[in-house]
Amino acid sequence: MQRISIDPITRLEGHGKIEIFLDEQGNVANTYFQIPELRGFERFVVGRPIEEMPLITNRICGVCPEAHHMAASKAADAVYKVDPPRAAKMLRELLYSAFYCTDHTTHFYALGGPDFVMGPDAPVAERNILGVIHKVGLEIGGKVIQMRKYGHTVVEMIGGRKVHPCTSIPGGMTKGITEEQRQEIETMGRWAIEFAQFSLKLFNDIVLGNKGYVDLILGDVYTHHTYYMGMVDENNKVNFYDGKVRVVDPNGKEFVKYAPQDYAEHIAEHVEPWTYLKFPYLKKVGWKGFVDGIDSGVYMATPLSRLNASDGMATPLAQEQYEKFYATLGGKPVHQRLATHWARLIELLYAAERWVELVTDPEITSANIHTKPTQIPTEGIGIVEAPRGTLTHHYWTDERGVVTKANLIVGTTNNYAPIQMSTHKAATSLIKNGNVTEGLLNMVEMAFRAYDPCFGCATHSLPGQMPLEITIRDVDGNPVEVLKQFC
Amino acid sequence: MKTLVVGLGNPILGDDGVGWKVAEKVYLQLSPDQSIIVDCLSLGGISLMEHLIGYDRAILIDAFAADEDLGSIHVMKLNDMPDYSAYHISSAHDTSLQNAIEMGRSLGAYLPEDIMVVGIATHRIYDFSEALSPPVVEAVPQAVKIVLELVQQNVMAR
Repeated sequence: MQRISIDPITRLEGHGKIEIFLDEQGNVANTYFQIPELRGFERFVVGRPIEEMPLITNRICGVCPEAHHMAASKAADAVYKVDPPRAAKMLRELLYSAFYCTDHTTHFYALGGPDFVMGPDAPVAERNILGVIHKVGLEIGGKVIQMRKYGHTVVEMIGGRKVHPCTSIPGGMTKGITEEQRQEIETMGRWAIEFAQFSLKLFNDIVLGNKGYVDLILGDVYTHHTYYMGMVDENNKVNFYDGKVRVVDPNGKEFVKYAPQDYAEHIAEHVEPWTYLKFPYLKKVGWKGFVDGIDSGVYMATPLSRLNASDGMATPLAQEQYEKFYATLGGKPVHQRLATHWARLIELLYAAERWVELVTDPEITSANIHTKPTQIPTEGIGIVEAPRGTLTHHYWTDERGVVTKANLIVGTTNNYAPIQMSTHKAATSLIKNGNVTEGLLNMVEMAFRAYDPCFGCATHSLPGQMPLEITIRDVDGNPVEVLKQFC
Repeated sequence: MKTLVVGLGNPILGDDGVGWKVAEKVYLQLSPDQSIIVDCLSLGGISLMEHLIGYDRAILIDAFAADEDLGSIHVMKLNDMPDYSAYHISSAHDTSLQNAIEMGRSLGAYLPEDIMVVGIATHRIYDFSEALSPPVVEAVPQAVKIVLELVQQNVMAR
């Protein structure tokens, strides 16, 4: 039996690698995608006051600290049974909308976009944001940096710090914004709407205008029929900050809509002996393995699944794009994973519109931004939509508000089973009779890149790279060929 | 000449936080000088590049994942470090710093020519903890000394 190993992080054994086992004929028998897990979080937070969670948990990750800050803040509200004033909730969501614009922009232009702008077969040295800038023009790079700058500025204005916000506390916010700041944030938000529209036009011209790319998106290699999860408001429209978690089945029919405090009734975790990380699944459907279909409890939580799980977008321009998305791709739900890149840009537009909607609300500069907690703390759950999926924080405390237990289900974890399935399918389609094509690495990368998975938060330590290594092993497990690149 | 000293890493992931510890001590030992800024960041790639804009030189202090003795210190120029990504993405979420700097320069951003990297060898960077391993703790004073010497150099080797 041949064994192929793709190892994104080689420096620690047992972390983050893809192993592909071939059968006697040289075709794919099994694929295992192992994601590194950061250990000991529960032990780390036990004994600390719940008020510290929004500050500590945003250190978990350098990619989406704002998401952890918000989920922990909402959980802390719930622990103290306190409802923040409307202005405080709007400030949090305004910060979060600006963060979303930054995050989705970076993913599209630096990570997902190059495959389409440069082409999936372009040389590695060109398939990156520099290649995009060279091909489409310097103006693009300037806009990307401008969008990121505006996002950082809003996070700093409302969150108190540029990267790791610190102003959300149980019951609301520690500071509000002035009318002068409001005007500045509005100006930046209006620019963000134009930028998002520009990005969608770019996608329309370059990707949708290319039959080869459309065929790639609609092809079977990247298609799975699973359940879809996303947070919705009272009108079943996408919302990143607040609402209920809605799940639709592979036919697009609502399966369940639950409030954050009920998550444990609906989500269970499957354990496999070959990985540290657990696989969440829908408890009431059950775990049937890594398989598609209505009888399999596997669900996905990504920009694409948020669109699938909703009845639309709550803002007008994004709603137009939402309708075009489903009209173009053949109706709801869309199962093709590569469409996630398009869905992400529609969410970018929604986030920008929501940004302006919130900052032009007359109450946004209100001084009433905190409700003092008066109840004895016990237990609380907070859920937000992180860019990478539904993020759940659950804390238990003693009567002093000191954490006694914690449970987190982070964005990427939701998608662990679908990523495993997509990786397997990409490998299966490319490896035939023992022949490993040169495109394998990038095609496998494209399978999991659509999910924007977060492998861990220590990856910025030097050398700060994530090498992908494919080791092809003979029937005795001996390596006969090693393919390597850094992704 | 404006110099930026940055401690990189995650302060709650064990040895990964060593860059912060070194930077904090460097800050305390520097005499007040508006031309030298010390910061601690949990960033890489484009985000880190954005923080370097406007400086003439930079010194980055970071955990170094290597199969070497814990706490051993490496000093190198960023330009001499291999760009493992070969102009491709360096993580699931960003570009390499070298790539990001080239992007910034192509867009007209003023970025330091001299970027030195002080790396401290670590192994334990997947466990939540605010504490460093004893050998890494012992390496901190030496790393601080190296960074202070680099800061004092008027003209850095190119």
